[in-house]
Amino acid sequence: MFTNDALVRLCRARDALREVHDRTLTIDEVAREAAMSPFHFIRRFSAVFGDTPHQIRIKARLDRARLLLVTGERSVTDICMEVGFSSHGSFSTLFARRVGVSPSEYRRRARSTVAVPGTAATQLFPGCLSLMGPAFAIFEKQQHS
Amino acid sequence: MRIKLTSIMVDDQDKALRFYTQVFGFVKKHDIPVGEYRWITVVSTDGHADVELALEPNANPVGKAFQEGLFKQGIPATAFEVDDIDREYRRLKALAVVFTQEPTRQGPITIAVCADTCGNLIQLYQPPGQQPA
Repeated sequence: MFTNDALVRLCRARDALREVHDRTLTIDEVAREAAMSPFHFIRRFSAVFGDTPHQIRIKARLDRARLLLVTGERSVTDICMEVGFSSHGSFSTLFARRVGVSPSEYRRRARSTVAVPGTAATQLFPGCLSLMGPAFAIFEKQQHS
Repeated sequence: MRIKLTSIMVDDQDKALRFYTQVFGFVKKHDIPVGEYRWITVVSTDGHADVELALEPNANPVGKAFQEGLFKQGIPATAFEVDDIDREYRRLKALAVVFTQEPTRQGPITIAVCADTCGNLIQLYQPPGQQPA
């Protein structure tokens, strides 16, 4: 059984892992902050959030990079540093592996969709129900082919 | 007008599809890629097999804040009905699911709360009329 207190400490740890600090906190430091041994911390964290602390950190960095690529004008190298990676090469490789395209290609594709003022958010973060129409169109096409 | 579809926000659709089918035991109905995300729904064979639950990508910061706020307060995002909550509790525990509340009698119902590994707490409940003697 999990106490609510333990749950809150894990949530705080998740927040800390997602932030970019001047110096990257080690998992041991985050575990200590959550008042758990590193072993228990990693085990409990993964059981609650479905990802290891390291995986959560990487996902958060890539999410932030995606947002910065689409909404800002800064260079890929700048964004790579801003979200907490130290090498452009490893950032681009990881980005391409997880997102499917390179950071610059991701930016180019996002920019090529016609922007209607005020609709950027729905294009960037579609809610499920906005996916419904396109999904059923694809589904019908599959049924008929 | 009828209730045919409902949705739950998930922080990762792949992880969610795995958890909701392999751990909760629902069955995949749709999984259609739409751009960066997918239209994924699951159904429960045990009960109303035509009612779909969409696993909604939770990329929007507004949705994220709401989901994480509820989670931190220990509040379930939704509830699923079970016939035998003690059996379900033992089954899920064996699959390493984390419970924040063990089966607890609340008036005519018994509830338990667990984490879905996708950012939500889920309340499981055994409805009135199906309580153990």
